[in-house]
Amino acid sequence: MVTVGPVRAPSKRDREPKKDEDPAHEGNILSAAELKPGDRVVYPNQGVCEIVGLEQKDIAGQRLEFVRMTREEDGATVLVPIPKVASIGLRRVASSSQMEGVFHYLGASYDDPELDWKVRHRDNVERLIAGGVLGVAEVVKGLHSLARMRPLPAKERELYDSSRHLLVSEVSVSLGVPASIAEDYVDYALMPPAGVKLALRPPPRPVELKGPPWKRKKPVAAEEDDLGLAELGLDLAEIEGAAAGVGGSAEGEGEDGEKAEGTEKVVDAAPAPVAAGGSRKAAAPPARAAKPPASAKGAKAGRAPAASPAKPEPLPAAAARLARGGVKGARKPAAARAARAAPKKAARPARAEKKPVKKAPRAGPTKAARPAKKAGGGKKK
Amino acid sequence: MIRIVTLAPYDEGDIAFLSRTLFQAFGLGTEHVGTRGLPKAAEGKDGRHDAQKLLDEVTPVRAFADDKVLYLTSAELSLPEGPLGEPPAWGFALQDGDRAVVSTSFFAPRGVTEASIEIFRRRLARESIHFVGHLWGLHHCYDARCAMHPSWSPTLPADPEFDLDAFCREKSERRIRMAKT
Repeated sequence: MVTVGPVRAPSKRDREPKKDEDPAHEGNILSAAELKPGDRVVYPNQGVCEIVGLEQKDIAGQRLEFVRMTREEDGATVLVPIPKVASIGLRRVASSSQMEGVFHYLGASYDDPELDWKVRHRDNVERLIAGGVLGVAEVVKGLHSLARMRPLPAKERELYDSSRHLLVSEVSVSLGVPASIAEDYVDYALMPPAGVKLALRPPPRPVELKGPPWKRKKPVAAEEDDLGLAELGLDLAEIEGAAAGVGGSAEGEGEDGEKAEGTEKVVDAAPAPVAAGGSRKAAAPPARAAKPPASAKGAKAGRAPAASPAKPEPLPAAAARLARGGVKGARKPAAARAARAAPKKAARPARAEKKPVKKAPRAGPTKAARPAKKAGGGKKK
Repeated sequence: MIRIVTLAPYDEGDIAFLSRTLFQAFGLGTEHVGTRGLPKAAEGKDGRHDAQKLLDEVTPVRAFADDKVLYLTSAELSLPEGPLGEPPAWGFALQDGDRAVVSTSFFAPRGVTEASIEIFRRRLARESIHFVGHLWGLHHCYDARCAMHPSWSPTLPADPEFDLDAFCREKSERRIRMAKT
């Protein structure tokens, strides 16, 4: 007898499945040519069906060809368009070796159910559709082990019952036993009687789910570089340019000015490509290493006086204030700053007047940042 | 209608208690049809009776569409061996079918005291509800307090409840409503 360790929860979506190695794809039907009348196939989420034959139907003026099958459970007719046969996940009834693997999987201990219901639900639905008989067994086992921790919510209780029904009917067909005996086999593996120790072999590899692209992990290097500024609608080069302007104007204006001065030295070369109309992003990399801490300091310096304590101002506003004149400008009330920023843009005043005063600072800083840079650059010259 | 057929002598009080309980559980009329003999063809070499064969060979009872027939026996039953071994056979039912058999061979002895008789009756009621539940298409339930929880489960208490949980009750009621008759 082989001792089998606990089975880990099978949902690691960021791994790339290899189709030919994945047990979930064993027995998949890839073309209608593989089907013959009398064949027994499993339609995902529907159960075991028997192929009746091919059939042509006129639908919406088109002549379409279908595979006709009947669901064994209740005799319901299922029509599948021939081009869809490969994509719906139709597969042959599990072989005895596959089924043995399923039972060894069910019998293995399982101590890591997925606790996030959204992830669990999505994974379970995907497993039922594309996971083969092992995927169905995973859903049953996963929900069963979760149910031992706490009662399942109504929707998952339904899912547990329907996946159990699918598993039992496939086991029944595969092993040639009545459904209630098949269910006894399943539960004998899931919860063996007291004193019984099952002779288990290592279970098959769990079904691997491809998952949506947004779930895949970014490379570590990229994560380190990404400060989340893009999510705030910020361009790092723009902030750097603004900070450079501040450095020029705030020179010798106390502690904050000194900090900005230090910044200016590092960025000295950066404003040139921006002013030349070249790509700011191209200029960003050399400055990146030194810039973020500097701009963050600037933002911190500007934030405290201007914004209300309950609602701190976003970073772009702070950067814009720095561009306009650093700490002095930042101390003025928001309405006054908006009024000051508006006249600098020749085409915008009318639009700025229409807007309510409270909203002006939000639109103002991004608009004001550009003239400020020019101003900063001018001062520099 | 649920028809109870005994394949061994049972106390009338036990059968009356069982009839009442089945009626409460499924809302269907229940009656004791009578006693029949055990089919010899179902007996295996080890003295146990093959549950599937027993249902095939037992003397039929007159029943109508959607009637469920429940056989009670004290003989030990056997099931075909599965991939991980043979599960204990407390009974056998044709899923979504019309016949089921319950064996009392695993029960604690009925005894003569009120307490032991009560335990026996409750267990008989629980197992009967379980296998009649299979006849109405119910699957096993993970809740140990539900009658559809597997009879051999290690989490099942010594004197288990003999009622269906909310989900199983609702499902059985739905099935019964949708029955042809």
